[in-house]
Amino acid sequence: MAVADFVKSARESFRVGWKIESNWTDPVLFATYQIIRPLASLLIVAFIVIIGASVSAAGSLFYNQYLAWLIVGTAFYAYVLQAMLGMSLLVFIDRNRYEILKNIYISPGTLHPYIIGRGLVSVVNGTISVVLTLLFSEAIFNGVLHMNIPLNLLGVNLFMLIPAVILGIIGLLAIGYMLCALSIVANRMEFILGDSVSGIFFLLGGVIFPISLLPGPVQAISNVLPVTYFLNTVRESFGLLPVSNYTSDLALLGVTTLVALALGILVFRGAEQRARKLGLFDRKSEY
Amino acid sequence: MISGPTIRKDLSNNLRAAYARMWVRLRGSNRDPIALASEIGLPILTIGAYVILYHAIGLPASAGAAVIVGGAMIAFWTNVLWNMSSQWFWEREQGNLEMYMVAPVSRMSILLGMALGGSLNTAIRALGIVLLGIFVFQVPFQVRDPFSVGLVFFLTLAALYSLGMLFASLFMLYGREAWNTANLLQEPVYFLSGAYFPAIYAPIVPFGLQVAGSLIPMTIGLDAIRRLVINGASITSIWPEVLALIACILILFPLARHSLNYMESLGKKEGRLTLRWQ
Repeated sequence: MAVADFVKSARESFRVGWKIESNWTDPVLFATYQIIRPLASLLIVAFIVIIGASVSAAGSLFYNQYLAWLIVGTAFYAYVLQAMLGMSLLVFIDRNRYEILKNIYISPGTLHPYIIGRGLVSVVNGTISVVLTLLFSEAIFNGVLHMNIPLNLLGVNLFMLIPAVILGIIGLLAIGYMLCALSIVANRMEFILGDSVSGIFFLLGGVIFPISLLPGPVQAISNVLPVTYFLNTVRESFGLLPVSNYTSDLALLGVTTLVALALGILVFRGAEQRARKLGLFDRKSEY
Repeated sequence: MISGPTIRKDLSNNLRAAYARMWVRLRGSNRDPIALASEIGLPILTIGAYVILYHAIGLPASAGAAVIVGGAMIAFWTNVLWNMSSQWFWEREQGNLEMYMVAPVSRMSILLGMALGGSLNTAIRALGIVLLGIFVFQVPFQVRDPFSVGLVFFLTLAALYSLGMLFASLFMLYGREAWNTANLLQEPVYFLSGAYFPAIYAPIVPFGLQVAGSLIPMTIGLDAIRRLVINGASITSIWPEVLALIACILILFPLARHSLNYMESLGKKEGRLTLRWQ
């Protein structure tokens, strides 16, 4: 398939995906829905830290630094949530609810650009959540509560942030691609898949605590997840971790992303063959 | 001349409908061991992350116990949202809603069956979450008054599922809004109910937040349960919560009934009860 055709199909898929996800309401309400969920997640962890600071003997400097570290991690975790939950449900919704998966599969565009296009909708939703969460955090914790947390949105190093975000998104889309493949061959697993993977990343990816607090063998798993290096590099670009580690973290993010990409393609091919053999593209299962 | 059903016959039909709907829910949710295991295991991932966060910021181990109880109660909230509130939406998408509408029973009996089945199912999962949480994280619990724990737990579920019945009627005519609204009511309620905090009614938590959280029955029930099972409190110290939960049930259940009748009538007038793929 020519690159131009692939891009065209992915663009159309993005357009359809965007309409499905956003045109059920007006843009203001849609944006509100996009912000409330990640903001509430952020407030949960922020309040835990504030409660911790109120009962602990440690100085406020530790808690302020920890809060900034936590805000950035939680904000960028929105990409993980959007990609994992959105892409794990994609096949289920198109096969069971709208009953169009088989039509897309037999079209000249095939499923690949369709999935990428729909995945990019999750990326856009994630970006909206990240930007709004960071802005709200700055406004609430530094503006309203005057906590002086070391979070300077204007001081972020974009030359460090942009490559980290691009690589991180590619890694997440590759994992989402795997989830789509598994959804094609699995039955009634769509809700479990996305929740499991995002839950594992939440626990092992260093979202709300440093992975050094995990038991040794579990840390080994954290060290092979792209999410761990994605959040590290993002925090380094915000100046919340030593910048000297950035290059090695970015390289590890690149390697883990490549592995995820290769695995994604491999798993998808396997699932596609199995689905064709067993006639799963138009299987409809209800609860 | 055809005579109408007697009250006894009517009651019997409705109870049988509730039982049938409960049976379907119990059977449907427990037939797949992978789903059952994941519904117990998945919350442990999130709970684990919060317990480690508590450890990182130097909070005591009892805070970990609070988050395990909160995680177990969240299972009920998730069930209320996705299997009660959104249920008419799913049923309409699958073409079952019209069958419920023409059945010679009250829609409330069907909702009651869903609530009974859902609460029993979730109780099994919540117990699994608590036991697994205690085993994995070794957090302390001290239960001195098990009868009060049972009473508060029952009242909390009754209030929570009454709220679920009210939401079910409000969600009845929703299209894709149902999905998005259920999503929207997850994390904000986790936050407002203090499910992942050591305590919502602590002095450090702003008063406005405590008031907003108290509008959700889970917040009140969760606080009482935590005090009973973590602090070893007795019924004498949690009676305001008991009264508040009873008040919630007395308000929410009749409200759900009125709301259901209104939304059903509105749906018939606007022809939206059989619309799919909105």
